[in-house]
Amino acid sequence: MPGFLLTFFLTVDYYFFLNVIYVFLVLLFLLSIFISVFTIYKRRVERNKKLWQQSVAPVISEAIFYNDEEEERVDLLYISYKIEMLLKNSRFRQYIINELIQVKKTLSGSSNLNLNRLFEILDLDKDSFRKLNNMKWHIKAKGIQELGIMGQIKYAKEIFWLTNNAKEHVRNEAQSALVSFYGFSGLRFLDLTEYPISQWQQIQLLNKLHHVKPANFDALQKWLQSPNESVVIFSLKLATFYNCYDVYTNVIKCLQIASLQVKLNALEYLKKMPQEDTSEQIIHHYSFENKAYKLAVIHALKDIGSEKQIPFLLKKLHAKDDDIKAAAAKSLSYLHPLGNAFLQTHLFADEYPWQAIFLQITNERAA
Amino acid sequence: MTILVAEDDMITLKTIELRLTKDGHKVIISQDGRDALKKIEDSSPDLIITDIMMPFSSGFEIIGAAKKKEGKKIPIIVLSAMGQENVVLEAFELGADDYITKPFSPNELSVRVKRYFPSAIKI
Repeated sequence: MPGFLLTFFLTVDYYFFLNVIYVFLVLLFLLSIFISVFTIYKRRVERNKKLWQQSVAPVISEAIFYNDEEEERVDLLYISYKIEMLLKNSRFRQYIINELIQVKKTLSGSSNLNLNRLFEILDLDKDSFRKLNNMKWHIKAKGIQELGIMGQIKYAKEIFWLTNNAKEHVRNEAQSALVSFYGFSGLRFLDLTEYPISQWQQIQLLNKLHHVKPANFDALQKWLQSPNESVVIFSLKLATFYNCYDVYTNVIKCLQIASLQVKLNALEYLKKMPQEDTSEQIIHHYSFENKAYKLAVIHALKDIGSEKQIPFLLKKLHAKDDDIKAAAAKSLSYLHPLGNAFLQTHLFADEYPWQAIFLQITNERAA
Repeated sequence: MTILVAEDDMITLKTIELRLTKDGHKVIISQDGRDALKKIEDSSPDLIITDIMMPFSSGFEIIGAAKKKEGKKIPIIVLSAMGQENVVLEAFELGADDYITKPFSPNELSVRVKRYFPSAIKI
């Protein structure tokens, strides 16, 4: 036996050692009881879920096809006594709400209206609406999401006031629900929203709008003057995506707003829908701007500029910053009548950084 | 016509079953891949509709097994939420005849199924 083990057995307090073993065994026993109880509970939940699923599946699938034969016939859907009894259980009600939402995500087409109707027939809309008054923000957000997915337009008024809620998830769900209900008209929440609309939320809203027919851009001019910077950015994205020519003057005014993101989004619009004076407008405030905007302007000139902007770009070839020089050279290679040949003769093509810039432009244009 | 539907989500499965039954088909359902493979051997369906992600065996294994089966050629429609190009291509390379991405319209599925049995359509 190694020396240290021998020393341990000779010096250890025997009763202390027994106590440690005793405590360990008790803990092991408690743990095994906990695991057994938890396993039984999990199995019961799974079994219940399976039974619920078997009861619910025929009702939902019947409802999906009811308007095949007769309009509004889903109202006459037979809800069995068993389902009626199960509906008294709040867990079952939440289960069926989750299933309906899942089915709506899986199916497309005319069946969606019947699923919305089934949601109302089973009074599940009232469960979701009750969540809107809950103090916990995540429950409130879930309630809005359920009403939004299940097309419960009758609650639009209550949901509208939550579009300016202090909790981001709550207002995001409320905004998405309104757009689901009304398409472009649902964007009226932009009139009052004071909180920033995140980039992710903007993408979500644009994605929802992508599936509906474009209409009603009357409020764009107002939104482009909003004190909420994110509303202006989102409006610029809308104007760019949906080719709204009539807000050109408002977009030009956005170039005077301090926010870089607003200006960059305005440039994207102007690049897509340029007018005769656009190039002059975008270089108007050039000297007072930061590098990111300057680079964006020079890049934009490549697409929308003309020979009139060549003197401006030639000046930029002498800028201190190499990135500005490279961008100006690239735009010149597109705008100058001689193209790349102009750069070759005009630049000191064998000197740094011109050698690298010229090589990069040549490769890019060849690609 | 006998159609085997392999789909792990009960409600989607029941919905497809109901739609195809209304169209006059005999529908065999299966909630997992292993059961589906067994039913391909036992009942020799005329068409298979399968999900990709299922317990025990995937939709790819079902396509492979159906294509290896000797005798009649069984058309396969894949119905999956996975719309990535590589997954779709793999399904077609293994021998799938059609690919529908979820969310799907049951009525569209019904029309696609009818293309395989033009002479057996119930009006």
